Amino acid sequence: MTGTPAVVADTIVLNDEDIRTAAELEKSWRNPPGLIGWLKSTSHTSLGKRYIVTTFVFFLLGGLEAGAMRLQLSRPENSWIGPDLYNQIFTMHGTTMMFLFAVPVMTAVGLYFVPLMVGTRNVSFPRLNQYGYYAYVVGGVFLYVAFILNTGPDAGWFSYVPLAGPQYSPGKRVDVWAQTVTFTEIAGLIAAVNIIVTAFKQRAPGMSLNRIPLFVWSMLVMSFMIIFAMPWVATASQMLAMDRLLDTHFFNQAEGGDPILWQHLFWFFAHPEVYIIFIPALGMVSAIVETFTRRPIFGYPVMVMSLITTGFMGFGLWVHHMFATPVPQLGQSFFTAASTIIAIPTGVQIFCWIATIWSGKPEYRTPFLFVLGFMFTFIIGGLTGVMVASVPFDLQAHDTYFVVAHLHYVLIGGGLFPLFGAFYYWFPKITGRMLSERLGKWNFWLFLTGVNVTFFPMHVLGLNGMTRRIYTYLPETGWGALNLVSSLGAVVIVTSVAIFIFNVFYSLKRGVVAGDNPWGAATLEWATQSPPPSYVFLHVPIVESEHPLWTDSPELPVVTGLRTDIRENLITTLMDAEPDHRQDSPEPTIWPFLAALATGVEFIVAIFTAWGIVIGSALVFPAFVLWAWPVKKEQQHRLAAEQDPLARAGQ
Amino acid sequence: MKRYRPLIDVSALPTFTFGRSAITWWGTLCYMVIEGMSLVVCLVTYLYLRKNVYHWPPPPTSLPGVLLPGIGAAFLASTNIANYWLHQVARRLDVQKTRIGFLIISVLGAAAIVFRVYDFRQLNTHWDSNAYSSAAWVTVGFHTALLVFEVVETWVFTALMWFGPVEGKHFSDADDNCLYWYFMSLVWLPVYFFIYWSPRLM
Amino acid sequence: MAQLQVVAVCSVAGACGGNESAFHPAGPQAGRISSLWWFMLIVSAAVWLLVMTALAYSLRKNHNRTIHGHDEEASQRKMKRAVGAATALTVLILVVTLVYDVATGSAMAALPNKDALRINVVGKQWWWQVTYEDPTPSNQVVTANEIHVPVGEPVQIIGTSHDVIHSFWAPNLFGKKDLIPGHTTATWFQADTPGVYRGQCAEFCGHQHAKMAILIVAEPRAKFEDWYRAQLLPAAPPSGSSGKKGEQVFMSRGCPLCHTVGGTRARGTIGPNLTHIGSALTLAAGSLRNTRGNLAGWILDPQQIKPGVRMPPNDLSGPELQAILAYLENLK
Repeated sequence: MTGTPAVVADTIVLNDEDIRTAAELEKSWRNPPGLIGWLKSTSHTSLGKRYIVTTFVFFLLGGLEAGAMRLQLSRPENSWIGPDLYNQIFTMHGTTMMFLFAVPVMTAVGLYFVPLMVGTRNVSFPRLNQYGYYAYVVGGVFLYVAFILNTGPDAGWFSYVPLAGPQYSPGKRVDVWAQTVTFTEIAGLIAAVNIIVTAFKQRAPGMSLNRIPLFVWSMLVMSFMIIFAMPWVATASQMLAMDRLLDTHFFNQAEGGDPILWQHLFWFFAHPEVYIIFIPALGMVSAIVETFTRRPIFGYPVMVMSLITTGFMGFGLWVHHMFATPVPQLGQSFFTAASTIIAIPTGVQIFCWIATIWSGKPEYRTPFLFVLGFMFTFIIGGLTGVMVASVPFDLQAHDTYFVVAHLHYVLIGGGLFPLFGAFYYWFPKITGRMLSERLGKWNFWLFLTGVNVTFFPMHVLGLNGMTRRIYTYLPETGWGALNLVSSLGAVVIVTSVAIFIFNVFYSLKRGVVAGDNPWGAATLEWATQSPPPSYVFLHVPIVESEHPLWTDSPELPVVTGLRTDIRENLITTLMDAEPDHRQDSPEPTIWPFLAALATGVEFIVAIFTAWGIVIGSALVFPAFVLWAWPVKKEQQHRLAAEQDPLARAGQ
Repeated sequence: MKRYRPLIDVSALPTFTFGRSAITWWGTLCYMVIEGMSLVVCLVTYLYLRKNVYHWPPPPTSLPGVLLPGIGAAFLASTNIANYWLHQVARRLDVQKTRIGFLIISVLGAAAIVFRVYDFRQLNTHWDSNAYSSAAWVTVGFHTALLVFEVVETWVFTALMWFGPVEGKHFSDADDNCLYWYFMSLVWLPVYFFIYWSPRLM
Repeated sequence: MAQLQVVAVCSVAGACGGNESAFHPAGPQAGRISSLWWFMLIVSAAVWLLVMTALAYSLRKNHNRTIHGHDEEASQRKMKRAVGAATALTVLILVVTLVYDVATGSAMAALPNKDALRINVVGKQWWWQVTYEDPTPSNQVVTANEIHVPVGEPVQIIGTSHDVIHSFWAPNLFGKKDLIPGHTTATWFQADTPGVYRGQCAEFCGHQHAKMAILIVAEPRAKFEDWYRAQLLPAAPPSGSSGKKGEQVFMSRGCPLCHTVGGTRARGTIGPNLTHIGSALTLAAGSLRNTRGNLAGWILDPQQIKPGVRMPPNDLSGPELQAILAYLENLK
């Protein structure tokens, strides 16, 4: 392992041939013009950018809901928000942050950067990507339209039955929740499949398994967790919807159903979901630490094993959300042990990062500061996590503000800090301009202060008896002072996020022009222009080491021979990433967008009448068929380019 | 300043392949995992609800029939003979035989959907009777959704093979369709056992 | 009356003397958890400080960098050793925590006692129905939102729910136990220090989850028995003309549909039993202190105090209200 960069890769000089190729590729890969063309786009950079922006809008909405709750709780017996609205708001906050922000933002960053980091021009299934994004948008818009119409879900983001069942939640509020969840699960599953296949089969030649960047590994682990976890909640939420709409009895104990079953099905998904959010964040931390210390991450194989172990173990913890229910003693001990032991792989990763920092020369740029903030904050959340893994202690902490504090330390510390770091780190790649460092530092310090002031007091409040999901409390409880402190902390967070937004808009116009590789990083996303052109890479790069851009050579080895007149990707072998075949990449089309709308009609109308399934299917099937049906002109291009595998065998 | 150095020329590589080297094969595999997990959720639900009661199905619900659904399951499993043949001829890029194979599978699939009506009838209960009925109906219903989607997809491929110019990658699609058909038709066997036989045995 | 004073002192002092706090255990269950908590807190704080120190050390400007030409191998060896040691220490700390944790769990499981007082608690939207078990049905006491227990004796709570899932929790005494429809759950506690402890529903249960509290009054055996005997008595007959008129108003309005007053024809079971409402510490499941003014406000417009609560507003004239207040206050 050498790894220490002598020369940082800089701008690449193009010869005449390269310039011609670029023009041809641009013609084949560019998005069609106009609004319809915009909707037709199958480009992973276009869709990825939209995805990230959309998730961020939902983050702001979820944040506004959090702000409203902090305002209401800032003093006892506050009457600003009544219980009916408050219950909708906290449900919206949880649903938005978990289903519309945290998971989608991670998959969105993955969909944008995994193809770039493995050196390919698009994800494996671009039209599915397009469909998934619009299904997600339909779900999110649907949830918020319902909320505006006073039909926002109000049974919590976990929708425990019987409260969420037909008897205790009449009306459509919980149905809205169930269908929104279904949309986001469709989008999440599609993103996961795309990420897995792209990272497995479209890596640049030479990028064998032991040269995959840690961020891509983390995305792979996340994607596998998604395809094993999300079917649980997708199926369970449909069972809930059927209990409510079709009179099935899955959770109705009067007819042999069981409310505890819902909790098992839900947490079997929802605990892994925390790791679905956290694992990509670990990948982001690795990418940032490596770049800003100029050192390869210490213990790469251990890091990969830790990610995979965490992914597996994430499935063995779900019952620790149910210690207060009648669960057998032996079961409890198993889940306590599992919940405790999962701290080990995360600990190992933290130790490896610290070792890497020790051996390198840290540069205190904003992304790196956010990584330090991640360590400072997340470790507190991890330690309280070990505490609540203990059954006796959890029986005190469970469903109190102690857990609110814990989960926000984990998700903000372990998710949002790395994500902000990643925004600062990758913004130049996505937009071509740097975010302001000065504003970035304000953003960071205010965020660090705000998060700790807001959430630290909640530990004490929880153990002093303040339960979760209460819209108000009596003055006698004595919770007023710490709640006020917490609400003031929220003001600091809002200020910090406002600075971030200002920074984005300001830097889009006035930011320093980034160039290909402003940070001198080692991975392939920095081997093309910023922002990447429509065809992403002029030539598919070839990887000769773990850190392809940390090289003394003045030359960048590349692949030639992919068609330029049609969209084509190079498919490589799973283990060693040797060139295997060429694969055409689908042209833009409107049908996945329309199919997403049709899916929307199906699920939304189904809330009101079972005919929705019939009507929706009548719309969805043709949309899918037309999506798959070849367009003549494109087909002729493809036929002209065709190479028969049997012919090769006969050579 | 850096330059590109062309190192590998891939222009002679094929534009489609079969099996594990194709991206669609991996995509299909992922969807098999996702749908398999959903079926597992249905069966876990079924077993979880089972442990709550002494009698299964709970009286007065009667036992599901085994004979007609058994014939249906055997029929669905036997479609794999034709499916296997289709798989072989598609991999040999034999246009005529692939067309015929798709047509056969399309017809067999339509018949399997018709059979499914009896599978529902033989449950001898309605989904809103009790939790047992809901679990049985929804499990069978979920697999029926897989069946219908796969059959419709087969119809689309059949139409593509017969009416459109045949692209090489259509053979690769046929390869994946066959893979998925194995999964969809064979996963019905354990489901059949759970839904129609297990109430008699447990 | 001493109890009322405790509540009054609480509300003045604000801090509540910790009568709803896991930091102030008043019995063996909460006490053991509290010891475990302090142990874990100290260990965690130490771990956090250690990691932060290591991080700060790694960020130090002047230590021996290995950027160019330094002994790469030596530095790799050092890192390997450090990471290995830190991992081993992590495993050790986790194992110790786990052992302490399991020991606490089994110590807590040792409390159950055959002669314990058994109390059935049924969670309802949004109040608690409490029934003291006794082999003789006429010796069963039924109350709402208030549990009296003798000091120093084990108590078993048998819980279930009438509608949605609730969770029963008084942090000074014991950890949570969910009350689930169709399931019965049991938990044990013992109060060693006399006092009034506040508990609250911990599982989100709908509109008024926030205002679903319960008081646990721990008092010496003799006092507890006095209270228990008083609770067994039927309702006190109305006194004076005002009280008699109050009873008429109570019976002629919808009240008996939902409420029971022992020894009268009011036998509703939807709302709390009011036989001894006059001696209750709080109203509306711990939302209000039991004063005449609060009672009047609650009867006239409960939706103002607990929006969404099942009790409808009552349109009473001034004299009617005064009469009903006199009647209810007399139900000691």
